[in-house]
Amino acid sequence: MSSRREQLAAWWRERVGGERAPSLVPGVSYAYVFGWTLVLLFIVEAVTGAALSAFYSPSATDAWASVAYVQDRMHGGWFVRGLHVHAASALVIVSGVHLMQAAVFGAYKRPRELTWWLGILLLLLILGFTITGYVLRWDQAGFWANQVEVGIAAGTPLIGGLIRKILIGGNDYGNLTLTRFYMLHVVLLPAIVLLAMIGHIVLARRHGATPHWTRPESDEAVPRWPQQSFRNVVMMAFVFALLVAYTLHTHGADLAAPADPSAAYDARPLWYFRWLYALRTIAGSAEQIVAMIAPAIVVGLWFALPLLDRKPGRDPRRRLPFIGAVAGLFVVVAALTATSFLSDGRDAALAKREHEAQLKADRARALAATNGVPVTGAQDVFTTVPMWRARTLWAQHCADCHDADSKDRKGPIITVGHGTRAWIAGFLKDPNGAAFWGKTKLSKTDDAMKAVDIDGGDLDDLVEAIYAQSGASDVDAAKRDRGKAVFDKACTDCHSLDEGVAGGSGPGLGTMGSRDWYTSFISNPKSPVHMGEQSEMPRFDRDLSIIDRDALAGYLLWLRAATKNDLAKLGPL
Amino acid sequence: MADDPDRRSFLKLATCGLGGVVGLATAAPALSLVLTPSKLQTVTTPKDPIDIGDAAGAKTWAQWRKVDVIAPEMRDGWTTAHHIVLGAAYVRYAKSQFEALSGVCPHLGCAVGWEGSSFLCPCHDSRFSSDGAKQTGPSQRGLDPLPIEVKDGRLQLTWVRYKLDTGKREPA
Repeated sequence: MSSRREQLAAWWRERVGGERAPSLVPGVSYAYVFGWTLVLLFIVEAVTGAALSAFYSPSATDAWASVAYVQDRMHGGWFVRGLHVHAASALVIVSGVHLMQAAVFGAYKRPRELTWWLGILLLLLILGFTITGYVLRWDQAGFWANQVEVGIAAGTPLIGGLIRKILIGGNDYGNLTLTRFYMLHVVLLPAIVLLAMIGHIVLARRHGATPHWTRPESDEAVPRWPQQSFRNVVMMAFVFALLVAYTLHTHGADLAAPADPSAAYDARPLWYFRWLYALRTIAGSAEQIVAMIAPAIVVGLWFALPLLDRKPGRDPRRRLPFIGAVAGLFVVVAALTATSFLSDGRDAALAKREHEAQLKADRARALAATNGVPVTGAQDVFTTVPMWRARTLWAQHCADCHDADSKDRKGPIITVGHGTRAWIAGFLKDPNGAAFWGKTKLSKTDDAMKAVDIDGGDLDDLVEAIYAQSGASDVDAAKRDRGKAVFDKACTDCHSLDEGVAGGSGPGLGTMGSRDWYTSFISNPKSPVHMGEQSEMPRFDRDLSIIDRDALAGYLLWLRAATKNDLAKLGPL
Repeated sequence: MADDPDRRSFLKLATCGLGGVVGLATAAPALSLVLTPSKLQTVTTPKDPIDIGDAAGAKTWAQWRKVDVIAPEMRDGWTTAHHIVLGAAYVRYAKSQFEALSGVCPHLGCAVGWEGSSFLCPCHDSRFSSDGAKQTGPSQRGLDPLPIEVKDGRLQLTWVRYKLDTGKREPA
């Protein structure tokens, strides 16, 4: 057996190369675990990102819909997407710790400057990933945050306008904006990060980990495997467990309503840019300068550290000004971040707007999950509610005069139960009541219809005869026929039940309540067959297409059979 | 012969030169392609006035009313679409004439909201008076007025995008 294994090893050596000397560390320590934790997080990003890219559609019409699909329709989709989003936060946090450890240990000093600079570059690239990734979801949050970020970049003197055009791929936000941020996020940045990471790790290996300041530089004594490797794995497992727990706790990442260029939205940057956001607020009119200068100072200090602190000693107590400056920056950044979140937390108006935005997001996602998103764009998901077109027309053209709670009501209330037997009976007994013609000018004139002086069985029969005009399938034929006799005696002075025939002085009632009758009435209520010139209702055959008028008629028919509960279940527009 | 220093340096130069030409010949067209959209109008929005509704009805708008500006047709890269929301405008009828303000914050382009007595941009708290004049916050100018006119009884609004975060108002 053993010879077999040796044979294999020899085969491998001949083709790949000899055994390397074991990698050493200057003492086993938890100070050295963060680099490999970052590698793990990058791998988590790569794996979850690859899975997500199998669903994502980088187009202005489809992007939000494809993200919502993964989030709400795919089993475990929310978990993978949550890991992807929250691992970015973890990368920022662990990078910060890694950076602080390196700063305290003096790991930026000769000969490790290049490792340090590559590390700073990697941190900037991580931030680049988060910016390019945030816009891809094309929801209100990502869309507006990107507008602001690109707006800041566009404020660069001289070349700002060109930078904006290159970033968003043309003159305005659209399909090309998404394709190029997608390219940056999944092709260019990963390629650069991979190269920078390889360089960072190769150099780190070459120079070895920076020993504790109490030890000399050459004191590389302990093999990395397995003591140090075990500590690395412990920290990786700890961070990963936290990441999974947080993802489960938040049920993945949030997704706001689809991007809407006309709707105000309280855009906030991702939490690690909040300090800049707070700084801009404080700076007031100087904010344009602050937005450029503050990050330049922070990043510049990090980059310059190896050049400023050039003495060979690594004891942090002898490097207090430098450690102090680095720690001071962290404190300022943390304080600004806290300020921003606290001041938002105190803003009651903001909380209300955010609550409304959340409701809108919930509705958009619920509609997308049940009805799908129209190919015309994610915005149109709101048009997939039942009878959206008719209800929108109703709100625009009808509600002012016919809604029960409209202050300017001029006509009868039209809502659920309109045109039922009970409604007809109510109307006959009190045509000028508040819910019926009470608000019309007609009701104040001598031409107004008088209450019908018929009761009991005769009234029921009359109601049935009028109700039957709608063509409803539940008509009692015997009652209807008796009702017609009542109608002929009591009503024919003013009305007619023949289709398309005007009454003597009132409207014709033939086919009243049918879909065609509603369409005809909406088209021109002033027609002699309907209300004649006394109607205050305008004609709609010029402003609304026949399809729209028919849609309204369909809605009115639906209202007749509906209950208040049914109406509520349609949801808001 | 083969170790002639002149020959060696020529070969080095030629290798790097040829390799460089091949590399450049690949990179240049690729980079040029990626930069091409920055010179184009990739998203076309109508320059003609857009119908936003009946003028007679709008005469009751003493207060600012938010109106979605909807492009009858819009090209976005390779797609064409109809009835696309470009943004919001605020319209009112005051001193017997119509006025319109763009709902795009002149600071960094967020959508502003009408708060009943003033406009507020929720992104960086720029506040504008009911005339659209700048009050507080980082915006360098007031809200941008948009051309609006009544034609054949219809309100016609022209949608213009202005350069952001500048004191002077110039079309983008």
